[in-house]
Amino acid sequence: RSCQTDALHSDDAGVQTRFSASIFTQTEPQEQTTDLLRQHDPAEPDPPGLLDFLRRTEDLIIRELVKNTRSHAFDGFQADWADRSQRVSCLHRLQHPSAQEKDLHVSSVSWSCTGSVIVCAYGDGDWTNEKSCVCLWNLDRQNLNPKQADLVLEVPTAVTSVCCHPNQPALIAGLYNGEVLVWDTSRTQDPVLVQTGMPAEGHREPVYQRKAEFGVLSSSSGGRVLLWTVDLDRTRLVLDSGYAFIRQQVPHSGRTSMKLQVRGSSTVGVTAVALSPWDPDTFLVGSEGGLLLRCSFSSRTPAAVPAEDRGVVLRAPAVFSFRPSSGPVHSIHCSPFHNLFASAGTDGLVHIHSLLQADPVLSVRVSDSYLFQAQWSPSRPLVFAAATGHPVQFFDLACRALRPAATIEDGAADRAATCLAFNHQNRRLVAVGKSDGSVGVWQLSSDLVDPGPTETAQLEQIANQVSD
Amino acid sequence: MKVDVEGTLKRIESYKGVIGTIVVNAEGIPIRSTLDNSTTVQYAGLLRHLAAMARSSVRDIDPQNDLTVLRIHSKKYEIMVAPENNYLLIVIQNPCE
Repeated sequence: RSCQTDALHSDDAGVQTRFSASIFTQTEPQEQTTDLLRQHDPAEPDPPGLLDFLRRTEDLIIRELVKNTRSHAFDGFQADWADRSQRVSCLHRLQHPSAQEKDLHVSSVSWSCTGSVIVCAYGDGDWTNEKSCVCLWNLDRQNLNPKQADLVLEVPTAVTSVCCHPNQPALIAGLYNGEVLVWDTSRTQDPVLVQTGMPAEGHREPVYQRKAEFGVLSSSSGGRVLLWTVDLDRTRLVLDSGYAFIRQQVPHSGRTSMKLQVRGSSTVGVTAVALSPWDPDTFLVGSEGGLLLRCSFSSRTPAAVPAEDRGVVLRAPAVFSFRPSSGPVHSIHCSPFHNLFASAGTDGLVHIHSLLQADPVLSVRVSDSYLFQAQWSPSRPLVFAAATGHPVQFFDLACRALRPAATIEDGAADRAATCLAFNHQNRRLVAVGKSDGSVGVWQLSSDLVDPGPTETAQLEQIANQVSD
Repeated sequence: MKVDVEGTLKRIESYKGVIGTIVVNAEGIPIRSTLDNSTTVQYAGLLRHLAAMARSSVRDIDPQNDLTVLRIHSKKYEIMVAPENNYLLIVIQNPCE
């Protein structure tokens, strides 16, 4: 058989523009929301028929509301929209070869506010003067190389802590050897944006820090907590206010079993600082001696220290003292769901305190040795994670048994997990820094991440328990 | 017992777990609400169409039938929509509270 297409008709024609016109358009921001909702003016008469409509539907709706409160129809049923995974798995193991050669451990990890960049700080437990660095990996990049960081920021000595800005993805604050430094990673030339230098206003002792909305909070074992802000032309970090802790100015928690003996110097070495997400004026402080204090930024009491040439009057901010623990407090973290906070130290217990009472609401035995950090989960109100000497353990307060709901074990037993950070954007991820200089990025199973319907209520119940 | 618009809405609001109530007119504009502006406008816009679709589905299956209440049970709370020709009443309730 053969076939043939019809003859193709074609023609030529010429076209030319004779005149042209151009016009621009632009969208305006939507003002509609305020116009759309007509404000209810009490003097205005109700639209016709509204009352009749409400009369007709009121009984119907009330019946449904009452039925709802009694219904058990969907109790325990959870729709499975996302793929639920049961396993905790390691996504990446990030290492910086030169840091590992120098035997540095990971002193701090922080996620950027976008959730895609992990910032790792390397430090040394002995405070020697080894050159160190801060490494950044962008986990959303396709050509992620776990053995080579996307950006390496050189630092003259060991870094004790880093923290990413809560809103601006390019800013990172870091602390080392008494200096506070802010990097702007969007600048390709010299990423160092501002630093405190080493004048009298700087810290001489090792410092730890936190980025508040408006500044950098740094604390030191010399008993000082300083609040730095970036000045208007973005060239210097300026000391905004300073707080000093002296034993005599710390309020007693009223329990006579405390062994608070003034030995040697009366300064209170600050080892942990936390900001409260509920009250912008409150911050929590943990000390080397095991003290846990609630402090106020706006305190007016001057600190009883000899006048230092800092340019700012140091104040004593401690307002309330919680029951002290028996060893240095390494970490404090406030729950994002309730006014509770978790504290972890060398006694192997995580104490959960309410901001309102001195005794802990609950104490959970995590391990027999040091705890380096405790953090609440950003998605499940009842879950917190603790970094211990070996595995990172996740506890779920909904389980009565209080044994870990999950553990992350990685490698040999001598590699301690020194720090951990939950990713607030991608809530399945958690980063764990270890003493061998590697950082593991883990994906959690769904039951550790997805909150149940009554979790906030359960947390409220736990918080309201009066401790015995 | 006050039988007026405010009284009726207050009575509904006082039931256990009710988070908010919204009354929407025939043009889709919310005329009474106990929630903030942006949330109200969102609910009104989205639920109008959903309620209309639900109603036409019920009537397509059986023309003698009609929609009385549309209930959306979600993880965090329950949304109830009572539609009519002229108005729409939306009530959001958290039954676990």
